[in-house]
Amino acid sequence: MSTFVDDFPAEAKVVRSSMYNAFVALAIGALMGILQTLYRTDVFHFISAEQYYTVLTAHGVFMVISFTIWFLVGVFAWAVISSLDRGVEDLRFTWAWFGFMTVGTLLAAIAIFGGFMSDPPEVLGSELSADVLFTFYAPLEAHPFFYIGLVLFVVGTWLAGADWFRSYLAWRSENPGERIPLPTFMVLTTMIMWYIATLGVATSILVFLLPWSLGLVDTVNPTLTRTLFWFFGHPVVYFWLMPAYLLWYTLLPKLAGGRLFSDPLARVVFVLFLLLSTPVGIHHQYLDPGIAEGFKFIAMTNTMFLLLPSLLTAFTVVASIEHGARQRGGEGRLGWLKALPWKDPVFTGMIFAGLMFAAGGFSGMVNAGMNINYLVHNTLWVPGHFHLTVGTAVALTFMAASYWFIPQLTGKQLVGRSIALVQVVLWFVGMVFMTNAMHRTGMLGVPRRTAEPWYDGFEYAGNVAEHNFQIALGGTILTLSILLFFVVILLTLLRGSKGGVEGSSIPEPLSGPDHSPAVIDNLKLWAGIAIVLVIMAYTLPLASIVERGGLFGPDGMRSFPSGNPGFLEYTSLFVQMVIQNATEVIFR
Amino acid sequence: MGSTEQEVKQDGSEATQPVREIGHDEYDPIGTLTLIALYFLILISMWFFMYFVEFVGNDPTVVGMV
Amino acid sequence: MQIHNYEKMWLVAALVLIVAIIATITYGTVGLGIAMVDDTEDTVDPGALEEEDGFDDPGVTQVGENEYDVHVIAYQFGYDPGDEVNGEIQIPEDSEVNFYVTSRDVIHSFSLVGTNVNTMVVPGEVAAITAEFDEPERYGIICNEYCGPQHHDMEGIVAVVPEEDFHLFTLEDVEAPDEVELGDDATFDVTVSSDHYDERTTTATFEAENETTGEEVEVEEELTFDGHDTAETTFTVDTDDFGTGDFDWTVTVEDEIESGSVAVLEELEEDE
Repeated sequence: MSTFVDDFPAEAKVVRSSMYNAFVALAIGALMGILQTLYRTDVFHFISAEQYYTVLTAHGVFMVISFTIWFLVGVFAWAVISSLDRGVEDLRFTWAWFGFMTVGTLLAAIAIFGGFMSDPPEVLGSELSADVLFTFYAPLEAHPFFYIGLVLFVVGTWLAGADWFRSYLAWRSENPGERIPLPTFMVLTTMIMWYIATLGVATSILVFLLPWSLGLVDTVNPTLTRTLFWFFGHPVVYFWLMPAYLLWYTLLPKLAGGRLFSDPLARVVFVLFLLLSTPVGIHHQYLDPGIAEGFKFIAMTNTMFLLLPSLLTAFTVVASIEHGARQRGGEGRLGWLKALPWKDPVFTGMIFAGLMFAAGGFSGMVNAGMNINYLVHNTLWVPGHFHLTVGTAVALTFMAASYWFIPQLTGKQLVGRSIALVQVVLWFVGMVFMTNAMHRTGMLGVPRRTAEPWYDGFEYAGNVAEHNFQIALGGTILTLSILLFFVVILLTLLRGSKGGVEGSSIPEPLSGPDHSPAVIDNLKLWAGIAIVLVIMAYTLPLASIVERGGLFGPDGMRSFPSGNPGFLEYTSLFVQMVIQNATEVIFR
Repeated sequence: MGSTEQEVKQDGSEATQPVREIGHDEYDPIGTLTLIALYFLILISMWFFMYFVEFVGNDPTVVGMV
Repeated sequence: MQIHNYEKMWLVAALVLIVAIIATITYGTVGLGIAMVDDTEDTVDPGALEEEDGFDDPGVTQVGENEYDVHVIAYQFGYDPGDEVNGEIQIPEDSEVNFYVTSRDVIHSFSLVGTNVNTMVVPGEVAAITAEFDEPERYGIICNEYCGPQHHDMEGIVAVVPEEDFHLFTLEDVEAPDEVELGDDATFDVTVSSDHYDERTTTATFEAENETTGEEVEVEEELTFDGHDTAETTFTVDTDDFGTGDFDWTVTVEDEIESGSVAVLEELEEDE
């Protein structure tokens, strides 16, 4: 049995490079994470209160946009290529989307890190900074580079999806009538969901925010851009999660020594995510004025049914693992748990990730419950929740999976297996401390996204200091865990001996694809239904928002920071810069 | 459970090979059912606790305009 | 499609869970009367809030026996009223309060710490929320949506005060002279407003004292208001009683105080 790099060396390089980019983002994001953890728990202030928001923006963008999505394109490329057992159609195209994503990341990074300068320079006529956080709610305004960077990055993911659809169509023409291999099915359904979802953010940026940041239009409607953000902002959490699910469904049963319990149910789960991920975004706006309670209730109902695919996944994945344990000789009602390969960092990391996701699922139910949102909205409870989901279910799965992928992608054996095991356990322990305390302080009303959540006029009704200690302790353990992660990765890359890596083949499911009706593989049908659901869920709310606040908002709306150049000034600066650079390049 | 036991070589430290093959029809995921039932009970009880104790008890609350 | 019996059981249980959660939320809405902030209020122009009803003069006004409207403007980085600069929001115990909150710049929140009173505040929209306050208590108001570099300094207070300490009389203005010629009257025109919804009376007290001579006067005047009304009164001091030199004065209405001093001169300088 051969490794991925043996079979597809050129493709392995793209996958590897994507994952390295993810690791760079993870390193930067982690550094930002510990800086803000120590700041807001009042343990140590390495930065100023104003810089806190630059750090927070960088932590959010690097972790949940760069790290997650770079890793995702790596996993998805691997999944499509290996499950169709064919290389990409055109390697130049593959590197093209890689290039788009890279340039996009760099532009956004430049805009964000400009915020660290005490006096950011003027670039293209406006101050180079983007202290707008991951959500960039208008009328807070970022440098145009931030918006352009996000657009290029998203366009890169669109092209990546096109690459995978191209592979699929080429495979389909050679294999008519065959069932789509499960990993490819998961990638394609997720990408359809992503195409639909990113229409929201693309519209928000290209039609409203970018022209506004360039001074082409004077105002925006903050509720509209906010709603378009969440049109994308909720499905994006499933975009992060789907590669983790893909690994739980495919890799985890194999590592446990078993087989996937049910291929048909796995497909049903991904179809449900495609259908339900997008028409739910308004649940992030339960406490927004200007949106009718009825729309909020509909969004809640959809959201609650979105629990279903995750709950089904819990059963299928655990049953697949139990199958492995019993095949390995495990006995008894729960005694089989002892027969699992707990010393394998890949397995243990993913199991702990799944365990934390079970807890995160609960706090997610609370977030999704319309009126109970008054209790938790924008409190530290919410970051507590998503550090369980994206911060552990996704991030820990990715880190654990890296210990499997890097050997597959380099042909080198993993070095520091026991360090890796300690690393995944530390991540779990650190997150238990941190997220537990975050949920608890959130219930006391401690706000999220706040540099100094302590006030002159009142005291919280609870022991915030003790919780802060737990948050700081958790954050420190997590930082240690990240350091160990990089030790293992670097040791493997530098010292790993070639050869002897086990093959990447995935065992056949217990209940195979032929047990499901063929209609499940009808991607056009599901895409059509998904679009209809989105239209049903969003037409009336968006129409009402535009009718209330106008397409470009009321006249009295200003920009913060304001003082952008007019379009002509901008264009002339841009042309000057292009000419200058061109002459330098030509006459160098 | 009519599982067909199969002798497989043990290579010392960690067994990645199954000691037996269990097919779909003979597999009884009773452990999964137990764990998931436990999870269900936790979810239900935590939900009612969060809603009726933590939330409803956290007065004042936004009520409809009269 | 082949689905294991256990998984079918779990599917049913999962659906029960989902329906139970939706039912709980619905019970909260229908049974407990918890309402979501929504689109019932008209939009406003965030650049011209001084022209918008209620936000032209933000603050507390009584609209029913135990019912009050509070208009608040959130801004970078405070609340008008609510914060230190604009003064805390006071409401009486056992009252029902309708908060109308908008923003004149970016998105904020208006959140009473340790309660379920929590709403986003979006420029152009008015967040209208109603809450009942039983016991005297001081609630911190915070902004829990990032709104700019001093976001963490954005705070205020809603003070629920005992019925007997509560009033909505405002000492709007005291028109007082700086200098008076000995022998002339010094007049103090006092304007007081009432934001109570019904007929009320209160007392305006005028005190004056010449610190050198120790001469004092104290006058009380009863003021009567209709609902949401303004009353005026004039206090007069005969300067012959005080003689030359400065005298200090104070006008007090409930806990509102205005003070100053007047110089009594032999002869006013005639510059003009």
